[in-house]
Amino acid sequence: MKKTVIPACVILALALAAAIGSQSFLSPCVHEDGSFGACHWAGRALLGIGCVTAILAALALALRNAKARLGVYLSLLPVTLLGILTPGTLIDLCRMSTMRCRAAMQPAMIILFAVMLVCAGVGALLSAKE
Amino acid sequence: MSIFSLSRKNLTRKPGRAAVLTLLIAFLSLAVFGGSVVVLSLRQGLASLEARLGADIIVVPSSAQSKVSFQNMFLQGTTGAFYMDVSSLDRALEVEGVEKAAPQTFLASLKADCCSIKIQVIGIDPAADFTVQPWIARSYSRELGDMDVAVGCKVEAEVGEIIRIYDQRCKVVARLEATGTGLDTAVYCNMDTMRALLAAAEEKGISHKITSDSEDSISAIYIKVQDGYDIDAVNSRLNGHIRKATAVRTRSMITGVSDSLAGISRTVTLLIAAVWALAFIILLLAFVLIIRERTREFAVLRLLGTSRRMLGRMVLLESALCSLLGGVIGIGVAALAVFPFSTLIETSLNLPYLRPALGVILLLAAGTLALAVIIGALASAGAAWRLSRVDPGTALREEN
Repeated sequence: MKKTVIPACVILALALAAAIGSQSFLSPCVHEDGSFGACHWAGRALLGIGCVTAILAALALALRNAKARLGVYLSLLPVTLLGILTPGTLIDLCRMSTMRCRAAMQPAMIILFAVMLVCAGVGALLSAKE
Repeated sequence: MSIFSLSRKNLTRKPGRAAVLTLLIAFLSLAVFGGSVVVLSLRQGLASLEARLGADIIVVPSSAQSKVSFQNMFLQGTTGAFYMDVSSLDRALEVEGVEKAAPQTFLASLKADCCSIKIQVIGIDPAADFTVQPWIARSYSRELGDMDVAVGCKVEAEVGEIIRIYDQRCKVVARLEATGTGLDTAVYCNMDTMRALLAAAEEKGISHKITSDSEDSISAIYIKVQDGYDIDAVNSRLNGHIRKATAVRTRSMITGVSDSLAGISRTVTLLIAAVWALAFIILLLAFVLIIRERTREFAVLRLLGTSRRMLGRMVLLESALCSLLGGVIGIGVAALAVFPFSTLIETSLNLPYLRPALGVILLLAAGTLALAVIIGALASAGAAWRLSRVDPGTALREEN
C-alpha cells in the first residue's frame, strides 16, 4: 500500500505544477496587440489535462483497493501521453523557437508529463504485484 | 560472497545512508556538467558569431548606431530597419584597402503568418555577398530566386512551405544551420524579393523610415579589407568618405560579447569550484560518521577472516557505486535542465549560445562521471584505511 501511493503523490504534485504553470510561470506567449495565438489554446488544454491528471492521482491516493488503484494508474497512462502530445503535436505553437511557448512551456510540459507517465507505469506495476 | 555483492547489500540494507551519499554526488555532477555545457555553449556561440560576421568592417547608417539596433539584431534577433542610399556602396568601394563590399537591406515584418511576432527580413545580393551566402550554400546549393526565402533555424517553417510577409507569398527553399545568434530568427531573400516586400509594406502604409526610393536603399555594407591593409586605417577612411554612415569594426562588437562571456564563465567556474569544495567537505564528514557507525560491523568481518585489504576495497567499492549512480543522476538531471531549455537560456543571457557537438557532450559526461567517482573514492579513502585497521577485540569491547 505504502509503495503504491508514492507514484500517485509524485503525479499529484507534478500535475498541479503543470496545471498552475500552464497559466502562470510556464504560460504561453502574450501578444503585444492582445490577440491569441494557437499556443494560448494549447495552454488552456494543458490546464485541463493537468487538472484531470491531478484528480486521477488524488483518486489513486484515496483508493484502498489495489485493483481499483491499478485501474486508475492505467487510465493515467493515456492522459499523461495526451499531455506530452498536446503542445506542438496536437495543438500548434508559435512558429518561432524563441517564443515563450516553444522555449519554456513545451519542453517543461513534455518533461513533466513524461515523468508522470513513468510514475503511472511504475504505480501500475506495483499495484498489479500487490 | 564476493566483495561486490557484499558492498551492494551494504548499500541496499542502509538505503538512507546510500541515498544521502548518492544525492550529494548527484548535486556535484549536476553543477559540473550543467555549468560546463552552458559555458561551452556560450564559447561555441561566440565562435559562431565571429564566423558569421565574416566581414572586417560593417557600415551602417548613423541612425542605426544611436538606436543600438544593429548589435541587438545579431545577438538577440530583435528587428531593426534603417536605411541609407545605395550610392554609399559605390563610395565604400572607392576607398583604398576595400577588397569586397556586400550590401544588405533589412525589413522588420509585421506579424508574418509563420510567426506571432515581427521577424527580421534580410535582403542580400547573392553575387556580391560573402557573409550570408556561404552559410546559405551549406543548406541550399542554388541561388535564391525571386520570392524565395531561406529561414533561420529558429523559424519553424518547413522547406517548400509558403509564408506570407506583408501579404506577399514567399516560398521557403532552405532552413539554415544554427548559429546560436540572432541571425537564426531571420528570413533571408535576394534584393528583388526585398524590393517587392518593401513596396508591399509601403502599400500597407507602413513606414519603414525609407528616406529615398526603396530600390535605392540599403541597410548595411559588409566590408572585407584587402590583405596588408590596416583595418583601423580603412575604417577611418570609410568614416570620412561616406556621409551619414558609420563604419564599425566587427571586432568591437565581438569584444563586448566576449567580455560578458568571460564574466559569466568566471562566475560559473567559481560556483562549480565552491560547490565541489563544499560537497567534498560534506562527503569527508559523512565518511567520518560512517566510520563511527560501522566499527563494530568491520570488527565482526575481521573476526570472520576478512582481510584488511578486502575491507578497504569494500568501502571504496561502496563509495564508487554511490558516486557512479549519483553521477548518472546528476548528469541526467542537468541534461534535462540544459538541453530542452537552451533557447530559454540563450534569450535570458542575451548572448550567442550554440550547443556543442554530441561527441563533445558525451566526452564531458564521461569526464564528469570519472570526476565524481574519483572525488567519492578520495573522500572515502581515509575511512577505508581507518576501518581496515580496526582491532576487532578492542572495537567489540568498546562497543559493549
